[in-house]
Amino acid sequence: MAVRREKAERLADEELMPLVGRKDAEAFEVLYDRHGGAAFSLAYRIVGDRAAAEEVTQEAFISVWRSGARFDAARGSVRSWLLSVVRNRAIDFLRSKAGKAPKLDFDDEAALEQRPATERTEEEALRRETAGEVRGAIGNLPGEQAKVIELAYFGGFSHSEIAQMLQLPMGTVKGRMRLGLEKIRGELAEGLA
Amino acid sequence: MSGSDHNRWSEDLAAYMLGALTPDEVAEFERHLQGCEHCQGEVRWFEPALHSLPESVERQEPPPRLREALMAEVRADVQPEQRAAKKRSWSWFSRPAVAFAAIVLAIALGAGYEIGKGGSEDGGGASPLVTHENGITMKMVPDGDGGTLHLANLHQLPPDKVLEAWVRREGQIEAVPALLVPDRKGQAETAVADMSGVDTVMVTEEPQGGSEEPTGEAVITMSVPQ
Repeated sequence: MAVRREKAERLADEELMPLVGRKDAEAFEVLYDRHGGAAFSLAYRIVGDRAAAEEVTQEAFISVWRSGARFDAARGSVRSWLLSVVRNRAIDFLRSKAGKAPKLDFDDEAALEQRPATERTEEEALRRETAGEVRGAIGNLPGEQAKVIELAYFGGFSHSEIAQMLQLPMGTVKGRMRLGLEKIRGELAEGLA
Repeated sequence: MSGSDHNRWSEDLAAYMLGALTPDEVAEFERHLQGCEHCQGEVRWFEPALHSLPESVERQEPPPRLREALMAEVRADVQPEQRAAKKRSWSWFSRPAVAFAAIVLAIALGAGYEIGKGGSEDGGGASPLVTHENGITMKMVPDGDGGTLHLANLHQLPPDKVLEAWVRREGQIEAVPALLVPDRKGQAETAVADMSGVDTVMVTEEPQGGSEEPTGEAVITMSVPQ
């Protein structure tokens, strides 16, 4: 018998996933309520259009619904997995609309201030804190490092495409990606210390 | 492997994690990764940075219709399976909400509510069935084996609620797949694919996304003459 909504709300994401794999709609609904906002935001960040972001988010969640059993807890959190599914869908969408340029900006501090006060859980507070740290970390990156990370992660471009676009050797592009990720990682580690 | 050989993989690692390698390069890198504890450790170390990237984006509120559409698709997936699997063993009267609905129905019948062949407006053919309850009008317009359920004079619902229709067939309750959301005029409709053997139609208020069994109070109930 399906777990009722109230019961599902008390479960951790990792406990919901086996239920989703058994086609428990309540468990899936709770999962969407927890992560739908982040998923939609990421999709919008990549495709740059609300209608397209809606389509991408719906497709991503339906693919999760139909393949929930594929989640492997050993490879990370449910949220990270979900967002990677959304990112892949969004990049596929961008590629299907070849020629569409990704949005490229990390000037999100003002938007951070405007975020609605609907999520008040401790977990969400932690996420906001993390998001703030990442914004800070990315904002603190030298422009050339931030740019290659944006083009790769949010634009879906390969290192060779980025090299061509920026007229740089491929080794330089890969080096900047590494330096950028190292710096973000380092700042996250400092934030947790 | 020499240090300089390994530098090549270190150089590729961030591009791999950011999804910036080509499929061939990914396959090659993953073959190396399987046997390289150093790179496995680096991947684990970089993971928090990578997982934080999607958290850094500006927050956008998804439109409510996204949730509704998603859950409607999910329910549509679930219901045929459940219908087949359950052939429900539970009795119509074993659930409090349903028992309540049955009582409402009995009171309505006793009070002489217009239930049954009340629709003379459609002329010949199978007549629509009409009932009124709680100021709401429900009309079932037959069409082939099924019909369309029309509701009018509905109150606007709180954002976390929807209306869900149910039919009782041979003592078993079945959900009607599409949820009912009143429009600005307080009207809603949904199709019922198969009305054969249905003796009762009921609409309940349910949490957003609908339920698999009636959980809310019946807002209107209709008896279907056999």
